[in-house]
This record gives sequence, structure tokens and C-alpha cells, in this order.
Amino acid sequence: MAIIKKKSKVSDQIPTSSMADIAFLLLIFFLVTTVFDEEIGLQVVLPEQGPESEQEVSPKNLIFFLVQPDGSVIVRRGESPAEQRITGRQVEGLMRQALADNPNVIGVVQTSPQARYEHMIAVLDGIQSAGGTRFSLQLLEG
Amino acid sequence: MAMGGGFKRKSKVASEIPDSSLADIAFLLLIFFMVSTTFRRERPREIERPDAAATQQVDEKRKNILHLWVERDGTVFINDARVPMEQISNLATQMFEETDRRLVVAIRSDREVPYGVINQITEELREGGALRVNFATNFEQRAGAARR
Repeated sequence: MAIIKKKSKVSDQIPTSSMADIAFLLLIFFLVTTVFDEEIGLQVVLPEQGPESEQEVSPKNLIFFLVQPDGSVIVRRGESPAEQRITGRQVEGLMRQALADNPNVIGVVQTSPQARYEHMIAVLDGIQSAGGTRFSLQLLEG
Repeated sequence: MAMGGGFKRKSKVASEIPDSSLADIAFLLLIFFMVSTTFRRERPREIERPDAAATQQVDEKRKNILHLWVERDGTVFINDARVPMEQISNLATQMFEETDRRLVVAIRSDREVPYGVINQITEELREGGALRVNFATNFEQRAGAARR
């Protein structure tokens, strides 16, 4: 008697057709979720040390920002003894005005050693926001 | 005679794109990215950066950036190691040469640090010849100020 062997309908192979989809999905997930912490801030190029980096500047091109320990800023222009007390927020407008009057103006930021870092940054930010590219960072003596 | 009566020859060239190795390729890529990704290990620091509207992105490769942390009490850390003030210039010189003179020092200082400390650091950096400095700040959206 002939026995017909019934073919099993269940496949004996592991289905691998979706494997590529799974792998690419993982790949894309990791590519998208990876975040690189970017380096942001205010960029400054310090002057070289030594007398060769010193430059003669006409006093009338200078605008002094004297950062006081309490965060207020005293502004003095060139050789004029007139002083004006402003806040860090007002530096930008003042610098914009100064640059419009004289494009060669140099912002001199003199910060008291007791003043907080953020007060110096506020002034530097004001100068850079106003488009000033020439400035000097100094320590306020006395 | 019917012309179409002949046997249709089966093409021997497979009509399907072979995709059996696709999974291997994808996993290879996955493993490559997993292995080549390096994470920087950092101790969490309580540093609050100052805000600035003129904040810009540094256009330099990551390997050329030296991170310098200044904590609220004025202590300076480079690569998770505490560095005395006098040694900053030596370290900066060394890094400056290693990075082919393209070094950017990113100063990540707390906003409340007295400026005297920051001035000491910049003077040390000048002595070490590392002149490109980035004061790390948070971008501040200010009314009327456009981002440059």
C-alpha cells in the first residue's frame, strides 16, 4: 500500500526577510537620537605676550567701559573726563552709537577683579552684538 | 502553424534583487557606529554659564578644543583633573603644539566667578601662546537683537 507522505505546511526556515528593515530602523534611530553638544560662546583672540604686540592708538578712538564690582558700568570716552553710569544691558546701544560716529572705535573693557564674570560677559556681549570687532580686555586697577 | 506554439524559454537570470545580505550590511553599519562612537566622561559640574546674545558656534574641530572649567569657588579643571593656576600655561603650550597650532581654549566658567580669576587664566593662556579663546555662554534671545 502506497503511503503518501504529507508535506508539512509549516516552514522550517526562520523568516529573515524583515531583518534588514529592523536593522536599518535601529540604525536610523541611533543616527537621529545622537546629539553632539556643540561648542558655543563668545570668541576672543588674545593679544600676544611681549612688547611687539603693543599698538599705539589714538585716545580719541577709545571708549572705556569700567565694570564695577556691583555690575554697573562707567563709560568714559577718549580723554574726556565726563563719566556716564549705565547697566550692562545698555552697552550695546551705546556701542552702536559710538561705532556709527567713529567706525575705528575700540572698546576697552576694564573689569574690577571683584566683579562677577557675568558682568564682564554682559559688556563683551554688548560690544560684539553691536558689531564691534576691536576691543581690549583689561583688569581695572585700584 | 501557430507561431506562438513554441515553448517559452525561462530566463535564467533571476528577476529579483538579491537582498539576503542586506541585513548583514545594516548590522555591520550599526556595529561600526556603536564601536566608533566615543563618549566623553565628565563629572557633572554645577556651572551656570552667563547669557549672551552674540553667542556664536565655534568653527573648529572638536579635537582642537581644550575645555577648561572654572567652578564657582575659582578652582580650575582641565579634562576632569584639577589644575593649579601656574600650570595652565604649560598645559596650554603642550596642547597648542599637539593640535598643530589650531587650539581653541573653551573657558566654561560659572557666571559668579570673580573676574580676577578669569584674568589670571587668560594671562596664563597668553603666556602659553594659546590665544584663541571661547568664553562659553548660553544663547540669549533678546528683543530687538538679531542673531548674527
